[in-house]
Amino acid sequence: MDGEAFIELHGITKHFPGVTANDQVDLTVRTGEIHAIVGENGAGKSTLMRILYGLYQPDAGTITVKGRPATIDGPRAALAHGIGMVHQHFMLIPVFTVAENVILGNEPTTGIGRLRLREAEAEIAELCRRHGFALDPAAKVEALSVGEQQRVEIIKVLYRGAELLILDEPTAVLVPQEVDELFANLRRLKEQGKTIIFISHKLDEVLEISDRITVLRRGRVVGTVEAAATTKPQLAEMMVGRPVLLELAHPPVSRGEARLEARAVTVATGVGRRRHPVRHVSLSVHAGEIYGIAGVEGNGQTELVEALVGLRPIVTGQLLIEGRDVTQQSARAIRLMGVAHIPEDRHRRGLALPMAVWENMILGHHYRDDFVNGLLVDRPAVDRFVAQRVRDYDIRVADTDAPALALSGGNQQKVIVAREFSFAPRVLVAAQPTRGLDIGATEFVQRQLLAARAGGMAVLLVSAWLEEVLSLADRIGVMYGGELVAEFERGQVSAAELGLYMTGTKRGAGVPA
Amino acid sequence: MKARLFLLQAAAPVLAIGFGMLISSIIILAIGRNPLEVFGVMVRFSLTRTDSLFSILFKSTPLILAGLAVAMSFRVNLFNIGVEGQYYMGAFAAAFVGFTLRGLPAGIHLPLALLAAMAGGMLWGLVPILLKIRRGAHEVITTIMMNYIASALILYLIADVFRDPAQAGTPRVRTPDVAAAARIPSLAPVFNRLGFTGSDVQKLNALLLIGLALCIVLAYVLARTRFGYEVRAVAANPGAAEAAGIANRRVEFWMFMLSAAIAGLIGLNDILGFFGYLDIDFPKGLGFLGISIALLARNNPLGVILAALLFGFLDRGAQGVQFFARIPKETIVIMQAIIILAIVVAYELMTRYIRMQRKREAEGTPTVSPPAMAPAP
Repeated sequence: MDGEAFIELHGITKHFPGVTANDQVDLTVRTGEIHAIVGENGAGKSTLMRILYGLYQPDAGTITVKGRPATIDGPRAALAHGIGMVHQHFMLIPVFTVAENVILGNEPTTGIGRLRLREAEAEIAELCRRHGFALDPAAKVEALSVGEQQRVEIIKVLYRGAELLILDEPTAVLVPQEVDELFANLRRLKEQGKTIIFISHKLDEVLEISDRITVLRRGRVVGTVEAAATTKPQLAEMMVGRPVLLELAHPPVSRGEARLEARAVTVATGVGRRRHPVRHVSLSVHAGEIYGIAGVEGNGQTELVEALVGLRPIVTGQLLIEGRDVTQQSARAIRLMGVAHIPEDRHRRGLALPMAVWENMILGHHYRDDFVNGLLVDRPAVDRFVAQRVRDYDIRVADTDAPALALSGGNQQKVIVAREFSFAPRVLVAAQPTRGLDIGATEFVQRQLLAARAGGMAVLLVSAWLEEVLSLADRIGVMYGGELVAEFERGQVSAAELGLYMTGTKRGAGVPA
Repeated sequence: MKARLFLLQAAAPVLAIGFGMLISSIIILAIGRNPLEVFGVMVRFSLTRTDSLFSILFKSTPLILAGLAVAMSFRVNLFNIGVEGQYYMGAFAAAFVGFTLRGLPAGIHLPLALLAAMAGGMLWGLVPILLKIRRGAHEVITTIMMNYIASALILYLIADVFRDPAQAGTPRVRTPDVAAAARIPSLAPVFNRLGFTGSDVQKLNALLLIGLALCIVLAYVLARTRFGYEVRAVAANPGAAEAAGIANRRVEFWMFMLSAAIAGLIGLNDILGFFGYLDIDFPKGLGFLGISIALLARNNPLGVILAALLFGFLDRGAQGVQFFARIPKETIVIMQAIIILAIVVAYELMTRYIRMQRKREAEGTPTVSPPAMAPAP
């Protein structure tokens, strides 16, 4: 493990207009180690990796590869130095086979230009065998699971001769079983002498897989520690700069009446409405509980949420709010019955980014008598409301006339949360409410959800982040292939068990018929 | 800061106009003339003569309405290319009400004619917007098609159905005269009293005031009312507006109808304000000029007034240049086109710069010390 330095960065500094993304960063990655880089959003992880991969040029500082000074002016140069990057978002062509994807951009041909696909397949099969990757080079990529697609991405980089692999948030898209497989692959790669840089903000995973951990905060290196010699709370404190409560209190709250009920709800999309992204989903969310929906993204959660808040027509089944049938009601009517909605994509559904912060703060409440004076928007009343919300939710904004796009992601989400918690909602539908937020903002939003539950609100929480569902929800439903395949009470199920339902391996536990 | 942002925003059109002048200068130099002399003639001719000033106002009147009509559809991200056709139909409807009804008092007949013009425009706008909302047909295609239909239909109506029998035997193809009660009053009496006289003063009519009032009222509606708020939300992010319970399609429908109604008024400057009949040679292309004006004004109703005045000025200046400086007026048309192209680029650059500035301000992020900053790659 105590190999020589593969890569040394000294005093790397990178400015962007208005921010210093990397400030005098020193980093040494040793040959044959798994080195994790952690930090909150905006800490400068991605910028640093882009510099290493040649996508950005540093404003100052030096890069040394295997003891020799190096200039990395593009991905090709990076690969020439043995550095490869596995991107967070896969760049694969679904209708191509594994082998065709792997050789793309680097195709081996005969003298007259014929593609040497057979030879390439054999070579890739050998690569997979040597590194212990279960992958068929002749399989079509569209038929592969997410975990397998990620393996293709890794093989792609290995095929190009990379000795050092940068993995950017590789576990973000994986279920627990796939994470285990990925880690097994990474350990095998390490045994074969490869070096790995692992970028993440999930501290448990970082502690499990890496040898050493470098923490970044606001563009600076806070420190590099041995994984064996540190703990999760220590890492969290290094990241955030203050002690963080990692476990939120979840006191018992008595479950009240059913506020939001879906009865065999089916949603149709596509040409002729022949696709059914949501099929026969039945669930009920009660006052004083958080009902969590777990699932790999793209299994109908998005469509279900939109159907529940009136943004998508329900073709069969019933939707009831506080006992009243609202199946055919508009989004506005459902809102007015006290259903608040934190959309999964705050930029697409949550905010009108070019509009002012104050305007976004009343979006969806703007037709309330409180905010209109005849036909006019009642600015004094709105300003009082906005000022109050900004104070209560600690939204960092110098001027509420500034457009919402000027805020950070965390502050944007706070605007939505502040808005949706206004006017005493009876039901809250929260989809991916902490996505892309840093630890501080995540903690804030989760506290708000628990406070709402304590206050007797009925909360439906949809999250692709399993730990979040497990720590917050009173009951957990699992969606797979558009159906609710299982339902559990809090504490009755483990993450691993949920993973089996999320991938469709198991189904049918405690689901109301 | 706010004052600075405003200045920056105002700088874009100024830069674009400057760039347009620069390119035109090169063209003027290429034909062996002195650009400064040409621009001098243009400014002197347009701005120092009473007849020029009133001519500019007269020419700007339909441009204000055309720019405003296009801008209103642009405000909800709909591209009403059909302002041209809607204006033909509005012009005909107004003329029809004007020459068929007789004996009504002006207090009734003129408002009726104005309403007919708006209804004619809206009728022509109704087909594309319904196809858009119900069937998803792209409004650019449908409005262009509607323009062709309007153009053919109006020639048929003027030439074959409602041709003024009094003109039989002459080459003049036009409708009968509009009743005096339906004519838009000239502003000449007011200006005569102030000492301005001449045929160009005579032409200027009250439609200019209607156009200005519409711009001011709509600027206020968009900025201050609940409806205006919804319009801005739908334009800024339809997905978020929908999630907030705003009926996007209703907002889009009414903004398109508003656009078409204003389009219906464009032709009245000539028909009810000047000629008093609808001629087969009535001015065409005003709807398309409206697109340029809306673009220059950034869809801001008050900006439309300034942009329309600029176009009126350039148009008048082109005549002066042709006559006194012996430069083809196409030079000025080229300048107009360059200004439009430059404005698109200038706005984009300004918007990016302003967004960056705002990002720094909004959260009070400390700015990086400039000396250390190297240019971005």
